This record gives sequence, structure tokens and C-alpha cells, in this order.
Amino acid sequence: MSGHAIRFEGVRFAYGGTEVLHGVTLDLPAGSAVAILGPNGAGKTTLTRLLIALLRPRAGRVTVGDWDVATKRPDEMARRVGYVFQHADQQLFERTVQRDVAFGPRCLGRPAAGVDRALEELGLVAVADVHPYDLPPPSRKLVALAGVLAMEPGVLVLDEPTAGLDRVGRDLVVAALRRRNAAGVTSVVVSHDVAFVAETAERVVVLREGVVAADAPVRKLLSDAAALAPLGLEPPPAAALGLALGLPGAPIRVEECVAALGGVRWRGA
Amino acid sequence: MTALVTLERVGFSYPGSARPALRDVSVAIEAGTVTGVTGLVGAGASTLLLVAGGFAPRLTGGALTGARHLATERVGIVFATPWTQLTGLASTVLGEVAFGPASLGRPREAVLAAVERAIGDLGVAHLAERDPTTLSGGELQRVVVASILAMVPDLLVLDDPAAELDPAGADALYALLPSVAARGAAVLVATPDTERLARVADRVLALEDGRLVRSGPPGAVLDDTDVARIARAAGCPAPLPLDVAAAVERVVR
Repeated sequence: MSGHAIRFEGVRFAYGGTEVLHGVTLDLPAGSAVAILGPNGAGKTTLTRLLIALLRPRAGRVTVGDWDVATKRPDEMARRVGYVFQHADQQLFERTVQRDVAFGPRCLGRPAAGVDRALEELGLVAVADVHPYDLPPPSRKLVALAGVLAMEPGVLVLDEPTAGLDRVGRDLVVAALRRRNAAGVTSVVVSHDVAFVAETAERVVVLREGVVAADAPVRKLLSDAAALAPLGLEPPPAAALGLALGLPGAPIRVEECVAALGGVRWRGA
Repeated sequence: MTALVTLERVGFSYPGSARPALRDVSVAIEAGTVTGVTGLVGAGASTLLLVAGGFAPRLTGGALTGARHLATERVGIVFATPWTQLTGLASTVLGEVAFGPASLGRPREAVLAAVERAIGDLGVAHLAERDPTTLSGGELQRVVVASILAMVPDLLVLDDPAAELDPAGADALYALLPSVAARGAAVLVATPDTERLARVADRVLALEDGRLVRSGPPGAVLDDTDVARIARAAGCPAPLPLDVAAAVERVVR
């Protein structure tokens, strides 16, 4: 699983006569963990769908590794880019969870071991024989993610992976994404969940009205309330607590904040 | 206060499922309040909304046990998936939001006033002439909430209503719920977003495996916001602070 670099070069895209991306240029090195934030309608999902040739830019160029996406079909892009849609129902169709997760690897000729691993790490072993549509929507979201992880792509693109998930599911996604990044996979995550972004990303790109409004290391941006405010964002709770208490090290993750609170005395103790 | 929904020892099972989704739940949902429902996936939060709103088993099938009293027929429900709630019959946002109250046979003036208020409350007035099918997920969700509010329900049921929304939109939607309750409605909202729930709920119901295991003010029921998790791990004793301001208050300087 080696990652691929991604490059958007002056990319413009329009739905009909309405242009929603106005010349986006981004270089995402192989193995980087990038989160894309921004308000509803900013163009986040549109940008990522250009990576799998599901949409074609009206101008500019998109490359994934040495592939020019303009020369590829969506099924070809699936060999490099694993895409999890925001709504799992858009990508589940088999009769059991196990069959659904195994579909992608089978089509790509990838090892079946990835299927068991993905089911295990997303807590789906117990429901492997259940029809996906007999599961609640948040569980279906994990099934869709497992299906993509099982293909072991070099690039992971996740659109709102934590929307609707409970704490348990969210923690499973955090761990799975961290494992992929540690293995060198390039990840691009579209999310409104700033706390999840803090836990998983190393770089944050903020889109607003189809242009890049900010592009910074995650710790620098998410621990800077003044920089976030004009972007319509707030620091994640761990960072906000760190700022409020003047904790050292600019914590943005839960475990960092806990460590920084070491030795603190609490009222009521 | 008037109880709009009363459940007494209610159980519910979906068709074909041997495992009850709700077990022995007793609760009253009162007008003028915001009640939050929380629990892990499969705990029964969404099912409780469907049962409390009278949608299950009427639309889902399945078996209800115990006693349910629903004191109103004016119930509005908002799902996390807005495209499932579009009428498919309106070519503009204005038409979409007006569809519900107009279908209820309300006078034109009342419909227009309700629509204007709802699209203003949800911040979608600027989208009034847009085709709903061209909106982003977040924009569409706000339109759907507006279309439900325009019917002025006595009981407003929302299932993870901000899942599609950006942080500012989610904050605005949750901030709206107490004002809807203040107009006399009962608001029942299920969500894993305990941070925002803690800010607006008068009471929270916590479900586990279909059972109501805790009920009370947010501070007495919730313990899994990020701040609460941090405080617990850092040695803070119960009751855990749910937000940053509460945590700062608890730290001895």
C-alpha cells in the first residue's frame, strides 16, 4: 500500500452554468493526510469526485501519481483511489455485509485477507452475514468504508466519514485511518467534524465558495481560534480547552489534552 | 406542562426481528420542552422517535406493546437524509416549503406567513427560487427542516438533523430548537452529537439496548462529550463537565 501524490492544477468545475470551483491548485504529497473543511456548498465533495473521474473539470488538470485523471475511467481510477461516499446507500448492493466488503477486492484481484482485516477493524465481524440494509444507517456507513479499505488503495478519499456515527464507530474510523496513514496511504477526508480532523489529519485545506481559503498544518490552524473564526470554524474541544487553560504544547487531540492536563487538580475531587 | 406523548412500558419490534428495538420504555414528552435522545448505534434512539411520533408501527409495520398516548396529530419528522423527504413536486425551494402547509388546507395568507418565517429561521430565504434538487446536502437539510416547521407541528421529531450541516449551520439549527419549543411545541431530537445536545436540551433520555437507562438534565445524563472524556481521563470526578466553560470552572488554579 504505497500512497500516490495528488495534484489539482487550476481546476475549474461547473454544474451547468454555475461554476463551483474557480481554479483550485493543490499539491498533496504521497502519504499525506489531508482534511478538506468548509461550509456547505463550498465545493468539497465536487473537488474529491474529480479524483475518481466521476466528474470532469471544465478546465485544469488532476493527477494521481503519474496518472492524468482525464485519461482514465472511474473503474480504472478505482485501482488507485478508494472513495467512500457520504451516503453509504450509494455504494452497497450485495446480499450480505461480507459479500459487499469482498466485492471490490474480488473485482480488482486483490487478496481476500484484506476483507477479513477490514471487517475486524471496523467491528463488523458479528454482522458479516447480515444484509447491509438490515443494519442501521451508521453501521451501513462502516460497511461502505470496510469495502474500500479491503481494496487496499494507495489513496483513500472519505466524504464525511463520521456523520451519524456514535463514539464507538467514530473511534474505529479514527484508528483505521491512522493505520492507513502510518502505512503510507494518502488520505483526503472531507468533513465538518473538526475534532475528527484533529485526530486524523496532518494538513487542513479550507474551501470557501470554490476557492482555497486556507491551507495549513492541522495543529497550526486548529489551535488558532482567531484564524478559524473568519472561516466559520471553531477549534475542536481539545484545542479549545487547551487555549482556555493555557495548556502547553497547543494540544488539538484528546490524548494530547489529557497529557497536558497531567497534575491538574479538579474541584470536587 | 402538557404531555403530548406518553409512553407506558412500551416495547417495539420491527417486522421479522426477534430482538425488540425498544423494551419497557416509560416516558412523557411535554409541550414547550426540548428532549434529547442519545445512545449507541442500535440502542433504539431512532426507533423511539418513530414510536413517539406515531410513525411506528403505522408506517414501518412491527409490533407495539404497552400503552402509547399521542395527544396531537400535528407531528413533523426530520430525518438525517434530506433527499428522502423532498416532495419531488416543487421546482423551487419556496414551493417545497409551502407544499406541506398548503396540503393541510391552510389559508393562503397563513401558508405564506409560515413559509416566510420558516425560511427565515433556517437561513434559506436566499435560496427561495432555487430548484431543491440543485442544492448541496446541507442546504437541502435546512430546506427540509423549514418545510416541516412551516406546518407548525405540535410535536417536532428530529433524527440527527445536523448530520449534513457545516458547524455554523449545525449550531444555528440546534439554537433554533429552544425557540420552537418556546412557541409551544414539544421537540424530540436524537443525535450522537452530545456537545450540541447538551447546549439546548431541557432533558436527555439515554437508551441502551432498547431500554431507557437514564433520564434527566444533560449534566446528569451525558458523560461522553469530548470535554467530558478528556476530564474523565485527566482524573476529574463526576459530575463531568460537558463543555469547555464548565471544565475551566472545575480546574483549581
